[in-house]
Amino acid sequence: MKATYLRDTPLTGLLDPFGEAWSRVNTETLALSGTPSALQPTAAVRVAFPEGTIGAIRSAELAVAHNGSEIAFRLRWADASMNTAAAGEDDTLFPDGAALLFPAAPGAPLMSMGAPGKPVTAWYWRADEPDRGRHVSAQGLGSSDTLDRELVKVAGVHRDGHWHVVIARALAVAKGPATVRLVPGQATPFSLAIWEGGHRERAGIKAFAMGQHDGWHELILDPQA
Amino acid sequence: MNTSKRQLAMVMDLNKCIGCQTCTVACKTLWTGDEGMEHMWFNTVNTLPGKGTPHGWEDMGGGFDAEGNAVVGHIPSRKEFGEAWKFDHEGSYYGGKGDASHLAIAGEPPTWGPNWDEDQGEGEFPNTHYFYMPRICNHCTHPACKEACPRDAIDKREEDGIVTVNEDRCRGYRFCQAACPYKKIYFNHQKKVSQKCLFCFPRIDNGVAPACARQCPGRVRFVGYRDDPEAPIWKLVEKWKVALPLHPEYGTEPNVFYVPPIGPLSFDQDGDIDESTPRIPDAYLIRLFGPSVLDALATLKAEREKKRATGESELMDLLIAYEWKDMFGGFDTDPSTVSVVKWTNAS
Ligand code: SF4
Ligand code: SF4
Repeated sequence: MKATYLRDTPLTGLLDPFGEAWSRVNTETLALSGTPSALQPTAAVRVAFPEGTIGAIRSAELAVAHNGSEIAFRLRWADASMNTAAAGEDDTLFPDGAALLFPAAPGAPLMSMGAPGKPVTAWYWRADEPDRGRHVSAQGLGSSDTLDRELVKVAGVHRDGHWHVVIARALAVAKGPATVRLVPGQATPFSLAIWEGGHRERAGIKAFAMGQHDGWHELILDPQA
Repeated sequence: MNTSKRQLAMVMDLNKCIGCQTCTVACKTLWTGDEGMEHMWFNTVNTLPGKGTPHGWEDMGGGFDAEGNAVVGHIPSRKEFGEAWKFDHEGSYYGGKGDASHLAIAGEPPTWGPNWDEDQGEGEFPNTHYFYMPRICNHCTHPACKEACPRDAIDKREEDGIVTVNEDRCRGYRFCQAACPYKKIYFNHQKKVSQKCLFCFPRIDNGVAPACARQCPGRVRFVGYRDDPEAPIWKLVEKWKVALPLHPEYGTEPNVFYVPPIGPLSFDQDGDIDESTPRIPDAYLIRLFGPSVLDALATLKAEREKKRATGESELMDLLIAYEWKDMFGGFDTDPSTVSVVKWTNAS
């Protein structure tokens, strides 16, 4: 899939999921599937979510644009139940969430959210933290750590039974141990994950987009013409 | 298999608990006074037979089956625990409604509370019966909460087996709440982390017994290492075998033990005492503590008779707890002589 170059479009324009800028960007639909139950780290998680019960959201529409210094992903998926609180339904439900995933080392496996020494980076939006995203790194299910709460910019609107979410970041940020750098004119592997909080999805219980390249999709950033 | 070198434990003598909730309040005052913790009672005391807290917790699953497989569990809601309600002080004291609406509840009326079915019990007069069941986290040897956590955010301390939540690792996923069959983990919706009884480890680390034990006016609670043959825990659990875990079939190997309640005798139809029928049905106690409860009761009754007849019984002397401080297995430092760090939401 392609990240469209939008010259002179400020980040604020991209962060509005209904903004005019997005009318110039193609949207693609990505199929999502649940993480395998067998991969879940504990027996209690596996019995709570047997095979076939994970991944309530089956597809999402994605549009990607960059302005030469920032890149934004606009996600849209159908979700009739809007779960916006960590303490939803009297503490028994979970917030909806979405994340862009990138391998931060060659060969980092997608399905298990990385492996020791092979981190996966996530740019993470959660419906109960509407105004700031998380920059997350993981080296296997259950190992995610929030590295930063400033770099990832987010916006989320629930309208007409759908979530409309934008997740954005600078193409290049100061190089941390598990940070990806996206370069115009080049390709990068990526995927996305969605948690349906009303289905009690949290942690490794999520739907993700499985691509052709060792599980990853490929994103080609338009060069800055 | 215990992953800890030693294990701290508590024995509670249900024959002595008067349901005063001093333990509950001691704990609340010390640990769960912050915002987001209103519904949390790391220590609860409920009337049994009853639904307890959270409402109907024995039917909420979790723990392990006989083969050691994890059993699906339910995450209790705040309503099921019993949301803290507010009274209409404003209207009663200043609104001129003091007589009409004597301390009415402000807002939506609650449907359950942590001590909702107090003193209801069961049975037909004159053979009604109930007893009090204090509960804390059992600091299990096979802690379902810890084993459920996909982030390994629950620790079992190597030196004494106390089970604690590492709030820096916890992301509020609540798999522990579903997995704990005793429903003794709570979700702090303010901090978005799970929280639970910590066996007052900051006191333990200073040689001070947990507040619930030290504050108990009934001398109900013994504290100490399980393997200390000089101390009451070992004598009650291993030697005399009169202290049993609650619901051993849940498979978590609790380290809180109960001396079962003997209860009063029954009356027959003529109003005479019926020695043959206990007022608390055996079947009920077996459901709680397993079949060995009958042996424990037999031992208790025999030793009680022996004490009555001869004045001598090591077991009765232990349970009477003549020396209050002897109940604490060496953790008898006066808390006013040490400074104990409290947690707050600000930290
Ligand atoms: S009682 Fe529940 S919370 Fe406490 S250690 Fe056992 S399983 Fe964990
Ligand atoms: S303080 Fe002691 S007697 Fe009072 S309710 Fe608690 S355990 Fe029972």
